[in-house]
Amino acid sequence: MAAMTLMTATSFSIAITGAGGAGVISCGDLLLQAWARQGGRGLLRKAYGPQIRGGESAALLKLTADECYTAASHYDLVVALDWGNFTRFEDEISLGPETRVVCDTVGEIPPSVLSQGPAVQQLGLAEMAADTHPDGRVNMLVLGILGRSLGLPAASLVELAAEKLAAKPVAYRDAATCCIERGYTIALDAQVSVPPLGSPQVCYMSGNQAAGLGALEAGIRFVAAYPITPASDVLEWMAAGLEQLGGQLLQAEDELAAINMTIGAAYGGVPAFTATSGPGLALMTESIGLAVASETPVTILNVMRGGPSTGIPTKSEQSDLNIALFGLHGDAPHLVLAPLDIADCVFTTGWAVNLAQQLQTAAIVLSDQFIGQSTAVVSEPRRCPPPAAGPARKDNDYLRYRLTESGVSTLAAPGDSGQRFTADGLEHNEKGTPSAKASDHQLQLDKRLHKLVSHDYGDDWGRRSGDGPIALLSFGSSYAAVAEAAEILAESGVLARTVALRLLAPLQVEALNEDLAGCEQLVVIEQNQGGQLYRYLRGQMDFQQQLYSYAVPGPVPLDARQIAEHVMEVIG
Amino acid sequence: MMNAQLAEFLAHSLELESEAHERYSELAESMAAHHNQPVAEFFRRMANEASHHLAEVTEMATGIALPALSAWEFSWPEAEPPETVSYEVLHYRMSLRQAMELALVNERAAESFYREAGKASKDPETARVAAQFAAEELGHAAELERLMAALPDSPDHQREEDDDPHMPE
Amino acid sequence: MTEAIKLKAKDYKSAVKPIWCPGCGHFSVLNAITKAMAGLGIDKDDTVLVSGIGCSSRLPAYVDSYGFHGVHGRGLAIAQGLKVARPDLTVIALGGDGDGFSIGGNHFMHACRRNVNMTYIAMDNEVYGMTKGQASPTTPIDWDHSKLTPHGPGVRAFKPAALALAAGAPWIARGYSGNPNQIARLIAEAIAFPGFSFVHVLSQCITFCPEQTDWKGVVNEREGPALVDADEAAALFLHEDGFQTGLLFAQQRPTWPPATAEPVVEDALDHLAATFRV
Repeated sequence: MAAMTLMTATSFSIAITGAGGAGVISCGDLLLQAWARQGGRGLLRKAYGPQIRGGESAALLKLTADECYTAASHYDLVVALDWGNFTRFEDEISLGPETRVVCDTVGEIPPSVLSQGPAVQQLGLAEMAADTHPDGRVNMLVLGILGRSLGLPAASLVELAAEKLAAKPVAYRDAATCCIERGYTIALDAQVSVPPLGSPQVCYMSGNQAAGLGALEAGIRFVAAYPITPASDVLEWMAAGLEQLGGQLLQAEDELAAINMTIGAAYGGVPAFTATSGPGLALMTESIGLAVASETPVTILNVMRGGPSTGIPTKSEQSDLNIALFGLHGDAPHLVLAPLDIADCVFTTGWAVNLAQQLQTAAIVLSDQFIGQSTAVVSEPRRCPPPAAGPARKDNDYLRYRLTESGVSTLAAPGDSGQRFTADGLEHNEKGTPSAKASDHQLQLDKRLHKLVSHDYGDDWGRRSGDGPIALLSFGSSYAAVAEAAEILAESGVLARTVALRLLAPLQVEALNEDLAGCEQLVVIEQNQGGQLYRYLRGQMDFQQQLYSYAVPGPVPLDARQIAEHVMEVIG
Repeated sequence: MMNAQLAEFLAHSLELESEAHERYSELAESMAAHHNQPVAEFFRRMANEASHHLAEVTEMATGIALPALSAWEFSWPEAEPPETVSYEVLHYRMSLRQAMELALVNERAAESFYREAGKASKDPETARVAAQFAAEELGHAAELERLMAALPDSPDHQREEDDDPHMPE
Repeated sequence: MTEAIKLKAKDYKSAVKPIWCPGCGHFSVLNAITKAMAGLGIDKDDTVLVSGIGCSSRLPAYVDSYGFHGVHGRGLAIAQGLKVARPDLTVIALGGDGDGFSIGGNHFMHACRRNVNMTYIAMDNEVYGMTKGQASPTTPIDWDHSKLTPHGPGVRAFKPAALALAAGAPWIARGYSGNPNQIARLIAEAIAFPGFSFVHVLSQCITFCPEQTDWKGVVNEREGPALVDADEAAALFLHEDGFQTGLLFAQQRPTWPPATAEPVVEDALDHLAATFRV
């Protein structure tokens, strides 16, 4: 195969679509992995119709120069294996005159596509695949075509395809090899501009997998699981890992059982974890309060999706901030964290587990469907180091809820001699005996609050970059869109610093104020309708600066350009 | 020399007295928690008496290898050992007379138990000890009857006097 | 771990005194639990009593072992999570009829089905005692002493033993608070049984159901061994008057989790992290 001279660009976006089990996702996944092996960077998002199988699906790839992954707002190349219900993805896959469309000679191109004026190249895809091998499939043919146009070695794709099809009959692997190689004989009409490559020492993972890894590395050895979109992947990935580590995964009958099983295991001294999404978190709130009141360490990952209620299960949103912060009844301070990107899921989930264990409380980690279920090429993710081991304490006069300077009392576990206690959701005294006395309530409330707010969280509460009179504030996964927006603003001479919050509760007010010093205008950017972060910050802080809200709900990913335009508007 | 019958009997007697002591103590605490002081004090006295008799039997059993039985392995005429007031016949407003009546029934049951054990035993030592214990219980019963006779007339607790229940949790 | 000295039942009691009404059947269950623990020579440090909310759920505080007083209806979930994470412990879940069969009904069913090796004691007084006397799922259909259901619940009562059997419980026993020693024996057997052992205790509520003192006259101890055939047990549980006491059904079956064939992998975390490297 002749080496191609590829033009370079900062990003190149490819949408591969098809229906009826076309294998579109595999195609995109293998392509990105091969790209990664060369040192390329990129993000793969997936979109589906509602059918369980055989529906329409789209692999949405964005090849990039760096690891700041936003969803593509515009596609350079659209490869339609077929046009089955393509209009479902209209919102997601925007095309224009610069877009190249590649599709089969068979099948009518939707008018909504043609009206955007893209350049179209029609190839006899189905015919070629069938002609190449009896089990030949179009998706492998397309994989070959794209591999060639990206300058990837065919052998790499063949190897990756064989790995993916390892459990299938040999004939499928042969067919895949033949079709990939056939695809390499086909040149696309126009030049493909790809971003430059970087170091090939990379990982390829989804945010859900990353969160699972972070949890296990931080010591989680018990998981209670109740499936829910889009969190089931976390639990499924952890199931295999736990077995190898000698841990346990218990499938619960509902989320009420899941959180309580997690509490039970944690009470037994085994670091415990569960994962869910909005509707499940809503069910869990009573018992998360039990963990807070009884000071039992638990970590709950909430992979946010479109809300409210059943909402839009397969799409992303950042609309569970309110329930994470305020969903527990009573005064029940606890930890709320939000990973900032896919790789950061490893660090933030690990950090949450460490903090929950150290501070004997509940930690809610707000990931979302966007980072949870997208896969990306990332440099080796940063890990959260284990906390410095304190001296092993065993009190001669054991008071489970002893009032200490830090607010953290010794936590015994069944089996420890001379330290027996009954954990309770009822308010209690230092011993743990239920108490309705005003003094005990005040003292224990103070203890549970103080242990959180007096802890030194260091610098990881947020990710800050840039400088300037404007500050763009966000939390969790909207980081990437905000960072990109800042770059766009800089191109227009507007200097903005970005502050993405990783630790939302307890809010590090002082540190945040320091970082905002010198700012005149703050724009709070988030993916929800109610401006939840905006209102939270307003409630927690006295701002000297002018505060604005940019709050747009899902399901479409945040768009950096739209954010930048909005910022330009409000700052005048 | 192993006297199996005596050992079995003493094991039962120890259980009977320690259960009596335990039960009376529990009931005393329960009554005290519900502010029925006269009955609480009475049960406390009964607990003390049981502990004296328990000490006596313990002394008597030194050097004798007793069978190690779980609570349910003992043979009693009723579900619980005699002299153990059932949890279920109490009421937080019961009168002292009612409490004494319960205790009296139990003392008589204990006396009957020991008497029967004495008659049934083929071992002279066991029979002797059983008879001795039966006599003691008879003495207790007589004492209780005297105390009851000396009680001033007072109504038994009336259900209508019960407080309305309230919700603690 | 405490020394293997044979403790007496009273040694298993904590310093906290019960606040149950004099006449309450739960005293018998507390008595029975401590006797069972003494009879088995159980280590206090390795035992956990887990409860939900209700009068009976206050019990863990009265025993000198570890304990967890959880939220309403969820004690069984806490207990199963604990036992699965710490199979070395003796785990006893307990609660009332409202806690176990109403709000906790789903967890009860699934606990019977899951068959984790633990014991569940349901203290059934056919009423919500703690919240002032409402009908519970085991309240008789015509019991009209609750302001919430002044004409009686009008709904048929659950048969807990039948529910347990249908859901898969391998070991079902019934006790009566008038006979604490029998309950003690059943609890000891329940703890020893490898699987989910369900002890249904008819435990009178003197305050809201004083008529339950009549139970004394109708409870009858099962003669003969426990049934091992589920069909026969079903017939018994569906048609009996609910007052037969003793071990009623016992048919061992595989517990969860199964003994794992997978050995712990050395450097498993490194391997897991490596699976993501390209």
